[in-house]
Amino acid sequence: MLRREVKSIFEDRLYLASTVVLPLIMLLFFVVIFWDGSITKLPVSVVDNDNTVLSRNLVSMVDATPGVDIGRRDLSVDEANSELLRGETYGYIVIPDGFEDDIVGSRQTSVNVYISATNLSAAGVLRRDIQQAVKTFSSGVAMTRLAAIGVDGYQVMAEVMPINMQTHTLANPYMNYGYYLAPIFMIVGVVVFTVLATIYAIGRELRYATAPEWMAAAYDSLPVALIGKLLPITIAMMIMMQLVMFIMFVVMGMECVGSYAVILLASLLFIVAYQAIAVVIVAVTANLRLALSLGGGYSVMAFTFSGITFPIMAMYEVAQLFSRLFPLTYFSLIFINEAMLGADTRYSFADIGALLIFIPLVLFVWRRLGRVVRNSKYWGKD
Amino acid sequence: MFKHIKETICAEFDAIFSDGGALLLVVFATMIYTVIYSMAYGSEVVRDIPIVVVDEDRTSASRRLISGVDNGPDTWVAYETNSMAEARELFYGGDVFAIFNIPSGYEADILADRQANVALVLDGSHLLLYSHVLQQAMSDVITSGADVEAGRIVAKGGSDVVAQSVVEPVQMNVEMLFNPYMGYGAFVMPSILVVIIQQTMVIGIAMVALYVARQRRGRGGRWPVATVLSKILVYISIYAFILLFIFGVVWPLFDLPYFGNTLDVVLLLLIYMIATSSLGLTLSHLFKRREAPIMLLLWASIPILLLAGVSYPREAFPEWLYAIGRIFPSSSAVDAFIQINSMGASLSDVAPEIFTLIMLALLYLTSAIICENRLGDMKKIV
Repeated sequence: MLRREVKSIFEDRLYLASTVVLPLIMLLFFVVIFWDGSITKLPVSVVDNDNTVLSRNLVSMVDATPGVDIGRRDLSVDEANSELLRGETYGYIVIPDGFEDDIVGSRQTSVNVYISATNLSAAGVLRRDIQQAVKTFSSGVAMTRLAAIGVDGYQVMAEVMPINMQTHTLANPYMNYGYYLAPIFMIVGVVVFTVLATIYAIGRELRYATAPEWMAAAYDSLPVALIGKLLPITIAMMIMMQLVMFIMFVVMGMECVGSYAVILLASLLFIVAYQAIAVVIVAVTANLRLALSLGGGYSVMAFTFSGITFPIMAMYEVAQLFSRLFPLTYFSLIFINEAMLGADTRYSFADIGALLIFIPLVLFVWRRLGRVVRNSKYWGKD
Repeated sequence: MFKHIKETICAEFDAIFSDGGALLLVVFATMIYTVIYSMAYGSEVVRDIPIVVVDEDRTSASRRLISGVDNGPDTWVAYETNSMAEARELFYGGDVFAIFNIPSGYEADILADRQANVALVLDGSHLLLYSHVLQQAMSDVITSGADVEAGRIVAKGGSDVVAQSVVEPVQMNVEMLFNPYMGYGAFVMPSILVVIIQQTMVIGIAMVALYVARQRRGRGGRWPVATVLSKILVYISIYAFILLFIFGVVWPLFDLPYFGNTLDVVLLLLIYMIATSSLGLTLSHLFKRREAPIMLLLWASIPILLLAGVSYPREAFPEWLYAIGRIFPSSSAVDAFIQINSMGASLSDVAPEIFTLIMLALLYLTSAIICENRLGDMKKIV
């Protein structure tokens, strides 16, 4: 049985592509795109109506932050705006005329920052970095003024920053976008291939009416037939999952702070859960192409509902319930707990349990699956 | 020749509407996906993220700071406790996203003109929540700090004006253009729509083309230009209805951005769809089995979305990869669509993108016609 299956993986180009070749290409793609992992040098222009030493000073402080790359500094507001509309910059900073005069004259002044929020990842980085630079500049001015009215050096810090907030970031302390996005993208890719390959493995026997040979190889036992079908894909996808972990923990240098054993166990349950769902889809539709369309749609959708890019807690109630229907939602919680937060394993128990619930779904379609593989009226559908 | 055009059009419609898999992909997938994704991002704005406060000071100063954090739009004090252990339990259990700690001696420090300390423990595995909580906590701490600072200066005999100029010498006003509340749906939906159109069109066309080719075995290759153009007409008319539903129902229902000139949007999408349908017609000649397109092309949807620079701005990945990404019509169309639709730019602002799209349309149109012309002796891969 297993020999027949492995042989057909290597003989059928489509089967080989979806279990081995394409997943590897995909992983390579994500390694390249997330290699750097930081969002840096976003182009921003400046409208400097003051054009003095102090205003240029502020601009170079902003330029020195990692996220910002100051381009043109001599634009009018209209020009800066049309650069933005042409997609050449993500925003612009307007420094008012009299900026230096106000600072020298101990008056409060302001700068206006316009950021295009059509790309939130870029906008978030820009707001953070520009704010940081302006705050530092502003504190410098305040210190000079305090010194001028006779507050001594030790007191200055207490005056400028009366409350100091220390931040401790657990998980991803350097705010690496690669650590944040790469795992979820790669895992979704593995999900897509798991579901498509599983549907294809069973569906091709129906489509090309080879189900009798398949059953004969399995001594006409449905459990043997099914396990023999699923196992090679389970192994292939487990290898892909380990490659994902290898890429994250070794190639990209993310530290796995929790238990790798738990991640390993969870990824096995996760792969099998998706295979169970794929079996349900193919048994119910008994149509290879329709099953592939449905399964493909379902597996890609998991990305949105996993809550990684957009938090589940901010979704509507209905969408929150909907998010429970995807094994990926649970697996990403386990992954974050174990790999990034280093939380105690007991916090992952509930999610591991949830993954287990998907597997017995196969039993609901057991009888139908038996009929579909034995009755020729379900075969040969193009 | 008109008879041939009529036959081609009828055969194509017939193939789409008589087959479940094709109907699902070509007609329903775009609508279903847009609705479901909009539902997930429906509430759009992340507000009231639950955090736990550990107040070890229990003074009026610490209460003031806590109520600031509670009243801020982004954070919500869901729990208050005086033990860090309990707070950690809530944090790792996923009930709260951050721990805000005010150590004892907070008020005493403030009264004694010393720098007071507070601490924030955050989860960095989710960058969107992370930046919202950090931003909010920082602004609350700064506001409280500013009050303290102003109080001290006035106490030392400084005037209110002096106090203000020292507290915040340079004020920064940030305006988030085009998406002022930083809505997530407004950010990703336009790009997702553009990518879905391309992916469903390419996979759907390839799936249908194989069916049509089989129906008229050996009779292909006549009037290749007319055949290709009439097929394109079929798909553009189907997608015109789909887009009517999307912009007429889904967009207003979920309050998604629509600032563009309608004629500009129509023109852009028309060029885009000519390019994508020609790409689909070209690729369709590579396949000999109808399940092949979905198995080989579906996974690419996520890398293609990434290459368009949405979740991850283009400045973050290698220049050569960005250049390769331009061979997909979606990459230029995402840029142009966001600029026109979300930012209200005009066609002339997106001239480079439109130029790339026209070039791609001509390239793929030519390749589709060449393949159609040599129908008989095309070598198929899978």
